[in-house]
Amino acid sequence: MNNPGPAACSIDEKGRGRGAPPERRVHRDTIFVEDGRLLSQQQYPGEQFVIRIQAPQCAAAAVPGSFAHLTCNPERPMRRPLSLMRVDAKAGWIEILYKIVGPGLAALSQQPLGATISVLGPIGNGFSAHPERPRTLLIGGGVGIPPMVFLAESLKTRRAGTPWQPLVLMGSEIEFPFRARPSQILVPGVPNEAIACMPLLDDWGIASRLASFGGFPGCFHGYVTDLAAHWLASLDSQALGEVEMFACGPTPMLQATARVARRFGVPCQVSLEEFMACAVGGCAGCAVPVVQADGSLAMKRVCVDGPVFDANAVFPPQVS
Amino acid sequence: MHVPLNPSLAVDFCGLRLASPLVLLSGCVGFGEEYTRVEGFSNRDAGAIVLKGTTREPRLGNPAHRVYETPMGMLNAIGLQNPGADYVIDRILPTLDFTETAFFANVCGSTIEDYVEVTRRFDASPIDAIELNISCPNIKEGGVQFGNSPDMSARVVEACRRVTRKPLITKLSPNQTDIRENARRCIEAGSDALAVINTVMGMAIDVKTRKPVIGNIQGGLSGPAIKPIALLKVMQVAEVARPHNVPIIGQGGICGADDALEFIIAGATAVGVGTALFYEPHCCKRINDGIAAYLAANRMESVGELIGSLDAPKKSVQACAC
Repeated sequence: MNNPGPAACSIDEKGRGRGAPPERRVHRDTIFVEDGRLLSQQQYPGEQFVIRIQAPQCAAAAVPGSFAHLTCNPERPMRRPLSLMRVDAKAGWIEILYKIVGPGLAALSQQPLGATISVLGPIGNGFSAHPERPRTLLIGGGVGIPPMVFLAESLKTRRAGTPWQPLVLMGSEIEFPFRARPSQILVPGVPNEAIACMPLLDDWGIASRLASFGGFPGCFHGYVTDLAAHWLASLDSQALGEVEMFACGPTPMLQATARVARRFGVPCQVSLEEFMACAVGGCAGCAVPVVQADGSLAMKRVCVDGPVFDANAVFPPQVS
Repeated sequence: MHVPLNPSLAVDFCGLRLASPLVLLSGCVGFGEEYTRVEGFSNRDAGAIVLKGTTREPRLGNPAHRVYETPMGMLNAIGLQNPGADYVIDRILPTLDFTETAFFANVCGSTIEDYVEVTRRFDASPIDAIELNISCPNIKEGGVQFGNSPDMSARVVEACRRVTRKPLITKLSPNQTDIRENARRCIEAGSDALAVINTVMGMAIDVKTRKPVIGNIQGGLSGPAIKPIALLKVMQVAEVARPHNVPIIGQGGICGADDALEFIIAGATAVGVGTALFYEPHCCKRINDGIAAYLAANRMESVGELIGSLDAPKKSVQACAC
């Protein structure tokens, strides 16, 4: 729900307003509709796909946590909301990881290179990392991995100003959508057997570790949130005071993440997903209960009020 | 000699001059500003915007999932989430730009008193017209419980009629035996216009979990899947409404200009666009252009010439479809 507050606007003789002043209309023209061109589509085990789409306006305005609402196939005209994993504003492309869960994404996976895919985006409020907490702990589960990659890349490019020390932990019960390899980066505090990483992040100089019950080599055997707790427990109180957590993944994983964050007294932001229709705030189809600062409950739209929320607001202690 | 025409899309609707016959439907565009987030979208492309359903007190709405795609359509069960009439009138209406388009309120309640009170509050606001939502299928009390009974529908309309002089639109449910009888009773009770139709009740089941997909179990079906149903209802209601000069907002699955034209030919003065916005946020421009092109090609100067121009033999209106 918008919360515009009383507006200073001119009123005609019938009491009709002429709209809020321009500074109250900053939301206007912030989401673009583009005929994107499918540049590449790479399949990974478990019906996972990484696609790259030429969509320069979306790429230029996206921030970590943003998503795009894609038309998968004209025969299935409802769009699908998918998190952005990487963008290149200069080259004008966006990259998305998805897993087939129904006929819409199955149709998307069949699109040939060069196909036109309508892209509505970027949408949503992104993550905000705070420089006073440079030890950023990023947790991605399954198809919740993409925003973590985007955030990690963003922290890499912003390194000049702040000594960000991101650690990315990823969990998956199926094979990861990349070829894992032993990390070149030492991470004190994680179990010795956890050596596998996401090569892209390692190449960027960003530490990452993988967790799974799937028995994949070099992965921590357990939940990604257990791996996070392991690392957090290794920190002294001063170091813990410099940690901020960010997470995206299945709801049980996010609930567990919220619990871990509370246990260690670390602030945490989570990115939610929900079925969506409009994705621009018009239909309230994606609303979820959120605890507000005064303790009251409000229904907030995942699309434009989120998808990133404070973990305690969406998973309060009594629930999670 | 060929005389180029520049047909007007403007329509007269209950004394209001709408710049286009397109009406953005309640529940699809929030409280009027949401879609302006999309670059290239303008409220000026719509003749009117119907604000989200508003109740006397704030409502949190239904639990997730609230929306789900079905073949050529979608189910929704939002549950009338809204911040309450006072907030809408005092905090939201002042932020709307009434020079861009007309804004209609959409009023819903659990009791007749609720409808009357919210209507009374909107009557004292700058809103251009008031739509009575007696057909929402997604709340436990009120809504469609009124709309499925011609007696109850008429009582709501009659009571609200007493407290407003603004144009009163009644939104009719397709989920009833005889929509014509309901339309007739609403007109007699003082409804200035009719919106035909609201969503068709339906459900979907997740076969993996054997649970309903929609949190509310049932939802309202919209989109192209319901267009033939809506079109028939509009034609039927138009037969009742025409002698009273009561205009209709035809709605249900309109995605393109041809869809809109069908509804206008069937008897609608204005046409609603909802689910199509979710597919294509810029669809209003395309539909407006298509209507204008059709009018020009048929040497018509205005939409008014096309309204109710259906050329159907009387026997096609028979109830039996065997």
